[in-house]
Amino acid sequence: MIPSAAALPVHLTNVVKRYGRRTVLDGVSLEVLPGITGLVGPNGAGKSTLVRAMLGLVRLAAGTVRVFGLDPQRSPRAVRQSIGVVPEDECSVPGLSGVEMVRYAAQLAGLPGIEALRRAHEVLDWCDAGQERYRPVETLSVGVRQKVAFAAAIVHDPQLVILDEPTNGLDPLERRAMLGRLTTLARDHGKTILISTHVLPDVQAICERVIVLAGGRVRLSGSIRELTLPPAPEDRLEGIGPLDDMLMSLAGRGITARRVAPAPEAAPVSPAQRGAILFDASSASSVPAVWEAARATGVVVLSLERAQRPLEDVFLEAIAQADGPAHAALSSSSGDDDAAA
Amino acid sequence: MPLHDVGYRPWRGERCGYGHAVGVIAGTGIRLAWTSRWLRRAVFFAWSPALLFAASFFAFEQAVDQGQLGTMQEQARAGRNLDGVGVLGAVLARSLGAPPPDGRPLDANSTRHMVWARLLLAFMRAPQAVLLAVVVGLVAPTLISRDLRAKAWLVYFTRPVGKLEYILGKMAILGVLVAAITMLPALALWALGVLVSPSVWVAVATWDLPLKIILASLTLAVPTVLMALAYSSLTAESRIASFAWFATWAACWIAHTALTTADLVAAAEVTRLSREEAAQESFFADEAFGEFATVPPARQRSAPRGFRWLSRAAGLDSEIDRWAWLSPYHALGVVQAWIFGIETRWRAVLPPLVSLLTVTAVSSLVLWRRVDAPARA
Repeated sequence: MIPSAAALPVHLTNVVKRYGRRTVLDGVSLEVLPGITGLVGPNGAGKSTLVRAMLGLVRLAAGTVRVFGLDPQRSPRAVRQSIGVVPEDECSVPGLSGVEMVRYAAQLAGLPGIEALRRAHEVLDWCDAGQERYRPVETLSVGVRQKVAFAAAIVHDPQLVILDEPTNGLDPLERRAMLGRLTTLARDHGKTILISTHVLPDVQAICERVIVLAGGRVRLSGSIRELTLPPAPEDRLEGIGPLDDMLMSLAGRGITARRVAPAPEAAPVSPAQRGAILFDASSASSVPAVWEAARATGVVVLSLERAQRPLEDVFLEAIAQADGPAHAALSSSSGDDDAAA
Repeated sequence: MPLHDVGYRPWRGERCGYGHAVGVIAGTGIRLAWTSRWLRRAVFFAWSPALLFAASFFAFEQAVDQGQLGTMQEQARAGRNLDGVGVLGAVLARSLGAPPPDGRPLDANSTRHMVWARLLLAFMRAPQAVLLAVVVGLVAPTLISRDLRAKAWLVYFTRPVGKLEYILGKMAILGVLVAAITMLPALALWALGVLVSPSVWVAVATWDLPLKIILASLTLAVPTVLMALAYSSLTAESRIASFAWFATWAACWIAHTALTTADLVAAAEVTRLSREEAAQESFFADEAFGEFATVPPARQRSAPRGFRWLSRAAGLDSEIDRWAWLSPYHALGVVQAWIFGIETRWRAVLPPLVSLLTVTAVSSLVLWRRVDAPARA
C-alpha cells in the first residue's frame, strides 16, 4: 500500500533549482517510498543537488519538497533529525578517532554524551569496525572510513538514510556486507533508504525501486522488477551439466532458447561451473518441457525464475531517450556487445 | 563478529534541545585545540604577567595598611616605619594617578578603587591583549578553514545543526581560551587584592570591578574572535588565515605608530616655532620690562622612569590618541579604558568604538555568508 503524500518519506513536486543560468533541477517530481530506492544518473544529473534540496541546504527557484510531510526550508532541524546522510565526499573532523567521530555525530544529532558514546560503539560493532575505531579518522583506510561514515549516519536512528556511493572503495566482501546491512535496515527496521550510485548491479541487487535522473529531470521511475522485465516473457534457468545438450533438446521440443552468462552473484557454485539458459516463456507448456529436457539431459537445475534485463540496459535506454542520438548509439552498441557475448 | 555485537537497535531516548550542539562543538573544539603543545605553552605563559600584577596589588595594599599614601615626611613625623614594600606601593599609586600629597589625608577607598581599576586595565591592555593575539592566532585560523578543507561542514549541516549554532560553537571555543587568558587572571587578581587588603569589605567597595573585567573581556573577545573566524572562513588553507590575522595586527600597529609619530613630529615642530616666537617676544619684553619678563613653566610631574609604561597602559596619557581607531590593539585599549571609567572623553572613545563595532559587524556578515557557502555551491 502506498502511504498518503503527507506520510511519504520524500515527496518532491516540480522542483526547480538554478545556479546562475544553469538549471540543475528542471521540474523534478518524485516520491521515495519506504524500502530501498536507487537514485541513478550520469555525472552532473543533479543527484547531489536533489539530496541537498531534501536537507534544505539549497534555496529552490520553484517547487516543493516534503520530507515526512515537513518542509526542509522551514523546519530544517526536524527534517535533519529524521535523516542520516553518507556523503560521497569523505568528510571528517581531523583529529578525532573513528569512535569519537561517530559519537560527535550522535551528539550533534541531539543524543546525550554518555548515550552517544554507548550508541557509537554499538553501531560500530554492527558495522564490524573492529579496533580500527580508535585510530584517527584521517589515518584510516578507505573501507574503514566508509564504515565510520555509515555508522555516523545511522547512529541517531534516522527514519530516512541517504547514501551517496556507499560502496565506493570497498572490497567485494565488504561491499556485500554493506549491501546486507542496508537490506537489514530496510527490511527489519523499516527504514527508508535512498542510494545514489553509479554501480547499477548494486541497485539491482538490493533496491525495490529506481529513479533515473538525467539533465535535471526524472527520466524513469518505478519498480525495478517491472522496469527490467523483457519485452517478451522469458524465463531463466541456471544449472550445472550439459546445457548445450539441453538446448538441442529444447529445440527439438519447439522451444526457442539461448545460452547466456550465469549470474555472477549466485553462490555457492562458481560461475565457471554453472551455465544459464534463457527460454521463451510465452507458452504455458514451456516450463514443464524445460523440466523434462533437464531430466533427460542430466542438467542439475539451480534456479528457474522470470528473466530480467540488466538495469544497465534500462538505464541506457532512458538516458538515450532523454539525450538523443549519441546516447542512443551507445545504448545500441552496448546491446550488440551483450548479444555477441 | 565482535563479542559485543548486539546488531542494530532502534534508539528511542529523548533528544537534547536547541543549543546543545553549541556545547558539543565547543567542547570538542577545545579538546582538539588543547592537544597543541604550543597552545598549552601560550596559555601557561599568559598567566605569568599576572604574578607581576599580583605583586603590585600586594605592594599597594601594604602602602594602605601602613598609611604610607601620604608623604614620607608625615609618616616619619608620626613615627611609622618606612617599609620598602609600602614605599613601592606608594610610588605605584602615584604613578597610577593618585593625587600628590598635600598634607590632607587621602581617602583609601577611592584611591584603592582608582589604583585597582588602572592596574587591571594595564594588565588587560599591555600583556594580555598581545597574548590574546598570539593565542587566537594559534587556534582560530584552523577552526573553519579546516572544516572547509576536510569537508567537515557536511558533518554539521547534514545534521540538526543551524548556522547560528555552528558559529556560536566556534566562537565559544575561542571565547573559553580568551577568558582563560584575560578574564580569569584579571578576576583572580581582583580576588587576590581583596585577600591582601586590610578588610574583606574592600570587596564591597570594589564590587563593580569584576563586572567591568567581564565587560572588558567581552569587548576584547567579541571583535577579535569574529575577525579571526571570518578570516578562517574565507580560505581552506589555515596558514593563509593565520598570516592574514597576524598581518592585520602588525600592519595596523605599524600604521598607527607611523601616524602617531608623524603627529608628534608635527607637534614638536609647532612647539619649536612657537618657542622661537616666544623667545623673540621675550627678548623684546626683557628689554622693556626686565624683571617682569615671562618665566618658563615648571616641568610637569611624571611617573618615575620604571613606571612610565604602566602609566601609559593604565590610560594616563592626557593626549587623545586620534589614530587609535586604526589599530585593533589601540582601539581595544581605549574602549577598555572607557569601560573601567578611566577614559571619559567621548571624542577619544567614539572613533575606536565605531571602528570595533564596524569590524564586528563586517566579520559577522562574512561569517554568516561563508560558513555554509560550500553547501550552496
